[in-house]
Amino acid sequence: MFKMSQYSFIAGVISIGLALGCYVLAIVAARLARRRMVMTGAGGGGTIAVGRRGASNVAAYGTLLAYLGLVFISASILFRTIASGRGPFANMYEFTVAFAWGIVVMYVYFVRRYRQPALGLIALPIALALLLYAMTIPSAIDPLGPALQNNLLLSIHVAVAIVAYGTFSISFAAAILHLTGGETGRRGLPGRELLDEISYKAVVIGFPFLTLTIVLGAVWAEVAWARYWSWDPKETASLVTWLIYGSYLHARVIRGWRGQRAAWLLVVGFGAVLFTYFGNLFFGGLHSYSGLS
Amino acid sequence: MTRMTQPVRTPAITRADRKTTDDLDGGLTVSPADPGKRLWHFFISMRTGLALMLGLAVLGFIGTLLVQADPGLQGDRQAYAVWLETVRPKYGGWTGVFDALGLFSVFSSIWFRGIVVLLTMSLLACSVNRAPRLWKRAVHPRTNMSETFFAHAPLRASIATAADPGTALAEVQTAFRARHFRTIVNHDGDTIHLYADRFRWGPFGTVIAHLSLTLILAGALIGTAWGFRNNSLAVPVGSRVEVGYGTGMSIEAKSFTDSYYTNGSPSDFASDLVLYMDGVQVIAQTVRVNEPLRAGDVTFYQSFYGAAAVMTVADPTGRVVFDRGVPLEWATSDDKYRVGQIILPDAGLTAYVVGATSGEVDPRIKPGQMQIEVYRSGLEGEPIATEIISQGQPANIAELDFTFVRERQFTGLIVARDPGAVFVWIGAGLLVSGISLVFLFPGRRAWARIQRRPNGSSIQVGAIVRHDVTFRPDFQHLVDDIELALTGSSPT
Ligand code: HEM
Repeated sequence: MFKMSQYSFIAGVISIGLALGCYVLAIVAARLARRRMVMTGAGGGGTIAVGRRGASNVAAYGTLLAYLGLVFISASILFRTIASGRGPFANMYEFTVAFAWGIVVMYVYFVRRYRQPALGLIALPIALALLLYAMTIPSAIDPLGPALQNNLLLSIHVAVAIVAYGTFSISFAAAILHLTGGETGRRGLPGRELLDEISYKAVVIGFPFLTLTIVLGAVWAEVAWARYWSWDPKETASLVTWLIYGSYLHARVIRGWRGQRAAWLLVVGFGAVLFTYFGNLFFGGLHSYSGLS
Repeated sequence: MTRMTQPVRTPAITRADRKTTDDLDGGLTVSPADPGKRLWHFFISMRTGLALMLGLAVLGFIGTLLVQADPGLQGDRQAYAVWLETVRPKYGGWTGVFDALGLFSVFSSIWFRGIVVLLTMSLLACSVNRAPRLWKRAVHPRTNMSETFFAHAPLRASIATAADPGTALAEVQTAFRARHFRTIVNHDGDTIHLYADRFRWGPFGTVIAHLSLTLILAGALIGTAWGFRNNSLAVPVGSRVEVGYGTGMSIEAKSFTDSYYTNGSPSDFASDLVLYMDGVQVIAQTVRVNEPLRAGDVTFYQSFYGAAAVMTVADPTGRVVFDRGVPLEWATSDDKYRVGQIILPDAGLTAYVVGATSGEVDPRIKPGQMQIEVYRSGLEGEPIATEIISQGQPANIAELDFTFVRERQFTGLIVARDPGAVFVWIGAGLLVSGISLVFLFPGRRAWARIQRRPNGSSIQVGAIVRHDVTFRPDFQHLVDDIELALTGSSPT
């Protein structure tokens, strides 16, 4: 089972990598097509159509590969769960794969819903980077220390966090496209209006999940460390993340904050997500279960 | 025939239209002269809320970046000064600056407290400001909208039909009802006004979320004011220890077990505890890392463990004045020795029991031996007597007979009472429910106006969309349905 898990993992990495390759190719093709359109003028209609269709075909293959990647990574996590006999959320390797999985799940959800594979240009590299990072850290299945043995609570806490982080990475992707693209989406990117909508939808899913993550974390802390809140750096970092996304929800309805500034809040928010996530590695604290220290 | 305009974003609406949409925006533009009102407007302003949330985020970020002093150091200037020196190498010249700004204890600093107080006031003000309006909006919504509204609403459409107004109204109502909207119709002369809403209780989720945050903060405050916490209650196996803090409780450890995996990492710590209330046994339970013992609002958690020495002390008449396990709960700074304390109030003496740390081979204090150091209580300085004694062999030290009976383990507990926790949990539950309510059941409102025309009737439909972005496509479908029903042709 452990071996199967590893093979699926590799297959997942390759699929996501290829998906990303397709998207990049699609963008390049679309830009070339546009250039051709400029060069050939109005008479070059036929060429454009071919160029465009080629690009969207490549993008469609990319999306298929992303689905495939999701299947493989899910299988990898499933096999590992069977092999270890516990929730797949107990060390840095498992968290990292789960985080990447969350991003791909949310990406698939949003791409099905909004048909904007351009999101993948930002979201998939993050997922891929996490997977590649996971390959560099120890992946052995170790027994759990006493504080981690509350398996159900731990599993729910992390699973909920993964959903939140996955959606936040989508809002980050949309925010980046918003900040780099033009009003109506230059360079074959979606328009701002739509990107705003995607960001907001993602946060609408992510924010309640992040709230629940923090509450469950507090429940667990109360049971295991005798205190629902102790300003442990990881706890604090997740609170900071929560406050930033909370700010975003309010900023969106304040004139002068919508659009650009709100998009910046999403970028900062995702920075906070990564900081919370990788914080283990530098701030220690009670959450130092990463197995790396 | 349909004129379905592309959604116009809210800034496009003029001030006058904002009024007609009975919009609940906290972002006020006029600032009144009355200072009381100014203050009120400050607290209900979304900009204030935003600034406070971001301010808190910045402080939190500082709190994760800078090493924070243990809260126990507060009030102990000397210990704090010692601690400050330990971080000075890390922060160099900034140490003094950070210290002066209170950044080494950010979460009890004036900045943090100030923002939390302002945030609480703002949350309360927002709720007081919004709740009655939301109520009014849900119970007595405004049904009639003016021409301006239908001309500028972010979502709008107008349909001309050959049907008479009554039929048109029926179709509009059917379309809304099919989408689970509630409809209210108001005939005003020749004009029929229709108001439709869905999930009108959803927006109360914001009020619940905001108020639950204040409940959580109140719970935290109650916990600090009326709770207590002892992070290190060491109970030697076989002994009973007073809990203190006016609880009238004492706790006995029947046994302690620590288990390990084959690779040496710990797998379980468990203590069999018996709790007594005013001397009467009330609960017996095994306490583990994730399974505390709860008695009312007092909770006992497994926290640490170590070696204890069972000691007896007899006075010169042979009366036993001490007979208990002494937890060797402190370590010397070189970690070679473990130290426990015996207080003998009648004799005015304090004795320290010193044993070698397990695993250490010490030339002086051998396994099966303890060193006893006796001091006059309250006086620092040299001990009045020091002697190493062997297990089971009484020794006369400072005119008392000390016997090291045997070695046992002690279990280290955290004991805490938190009368505020219940509010925190209720608040947390409400917070999650409130936020879910807002997002899962986004309140939607729309208006329609039907007027008789020479060749049938005209229908205008308008809606505001503020957060709930999926309303836009749904609105489009709604208009398409009305159109299809009344004209028999579906617009493209
Ligand atoms: C940590 C603090 C806060 C949290 C977690 C929070 C949470 C929320 C949430 C989840 C919403 C719904 C947003 C949406 O529908 O998109 C909301 C809306 C709102 N919040 Fe807060 N809030 C906080 C602080 C504040 C403060 C301090 C104020 C007062 C200035 C405030 C005023 C409002 C208002 C007026 C709305 C309604 C916005 C609208 O519908 O136009 N909030 N809040």
